[in-house]
Amino acid sequence: MTRWLHPGFTLVDEHGAAAAAEIEAAAQRLGKELPWRGRAGLAAVDARTILTALIAAETRQCDLFLIRDATSGAEIGHRIEGDLVFELVPDATAGTGLVWLQSSGTTGRPKWASHTPAALRQRIAAGQAPARWLLSYAPGAFAGLQVILSAAIGGHHLVTGSSSDGIADLADLALTHQVTHLSGTPTFWRAFLMALKDATPPLAAVTLGGETADQPLLDLLRRKFPAARLRHLYATTELGTVFSVADGRAGFPATWLGADLAVTDEGTLAVRRDGILRDTGDRVAVEGDRVLFRGRIDAMVNIGGVKIWPEEVEAHLLQLPCLADALVATKPNPITGSILTADLVPAAGVTETEARALVKAHLEALPRAARPAVLRLVPALQIGETGKKSRAP
Amino acid sequence: MIERVVAELQRILADKGEAPGPISADARLLDGDLGIDSLDLATLVVALEEQTGREPFKAGFRMFTTVGELAALFEAAA
Repeated sequence: MTRWLHPGFTLVDEHGAAAAAEIEAAAQRLGKELPWRGRAGLAAVDARTILTALIAAETRQCDLFLIRDATSGAEIGHRIEGDLVFELVPDATAGTGLVWLQSSGTTGRPKWASHTPAALRQRIAAGQAPARWLLSYAPGAFAGLQVILSAAIGGHHLVTGSSSDGIADLADLALTHQVTHLSGTPTFWRAFLMALKDATPPLAAVTLGGETADQPLLDLLRRKFPAARLRHLYATTELGTVFSVADGRAGFPATWLGADLAVTDEGTLAVRRDGILRDTGDRVAVEGDRVLFRGRIDAMVNIGGVKIWPEEVEAHLLQLPCLADALVATKPNPITGSILTADLVPAAGVTETEARALVKAHLEALPRAARPAVLRLVPALQIGETGKKSRAP
Repeated sequence: MIERVVAELQRILADKGEAPGPISADARLLDGDLGIDSLDLATLVVALEEQTGREPFKAGFRMFTTVGELAALFEAAA
């Protein structure tokens, strides 16, 4: 048995149930296909393929690229030299057994980040009471991989849906399998609560991450799952998980501020790592005994756990000759935290109907979270006193 | 208000290329029957906020599951 799998692990997915030994055997078969100290790309479609490939790739000391945006249709063992997948990986050093994960960005090519297998396994604890996990995140995303590994290394039961499953399917899975552990973004949790209707799965651990958790949502979760351990995590792309808050209140205790966690002169949170205080860019405010998150100091906005830069969306829209100008702004939203809106000025001679149709087609190239939810056709943009476009909500 | 919520939902479904059938006040928004997800629901809420000028979620998320409950939140926010 490898270090990726505890013998007690079981997986339930759309293909049925699989024990650890079965995944191990599949990994041995796959290992024969993988190049020794080479590179392999994998469409990270489900937990079963990801675990199989992680085990096989480590055995072969092969770099593994977990491709979330599977434009290339890469399959397990697919060698990526000369392939589109290869082009997506500019700075990879081949053959050291690294695991490469793809971030989701607003536009353009997804960025790759590498992790050693040891680093991925580091925070996972084994040997706790048996748990039944449900996967709410995309399996190839960092958060999804953490849930998969928590269950696999911890020897738990992992339930996953298919990529086409919606929130109602996940709610059904949680009830059918009497799930005890569930981690998701606040956006996921709001939808999950709505989809559960009056039924309640026996959750013992409720974890929120990827977005700021607000007090009304934490209160709803506490009432719905009074017996559960309720935690919200604070993590950044660069630093990983920084801390978790378990008292059911938004933000974190002001007493935690000190040498390792500080508020900068600009009002952002800084975290000490490797002896250096690193600015997270997340704005905070101290209110009484709490430190509360107040959005970003830069233009980034978190929409349902996806990081979006409105200016990039605006630049994407301005590629269209049918638009004379465009302004993409953010608006607070109770479901996804924030949402984008766009004011669009059609070019001379272009009707509103034409512009709207062209814009909608052009937005299809962006991830859904990056597509403005409201398209307003306006004769001119409102320009602030500074002469700059105002993106504030 | 219910008519407005239904009309906006049908527009969102049509945009997704789905045939919008009749939607009742009891229709549950995220139970899978309507075929919408969180982002669609976020779009629905922002569209209703724009149309009505009302913001029932100004203080944060409030629980609702059906078309009628969402309409009632907007009505109460007058």
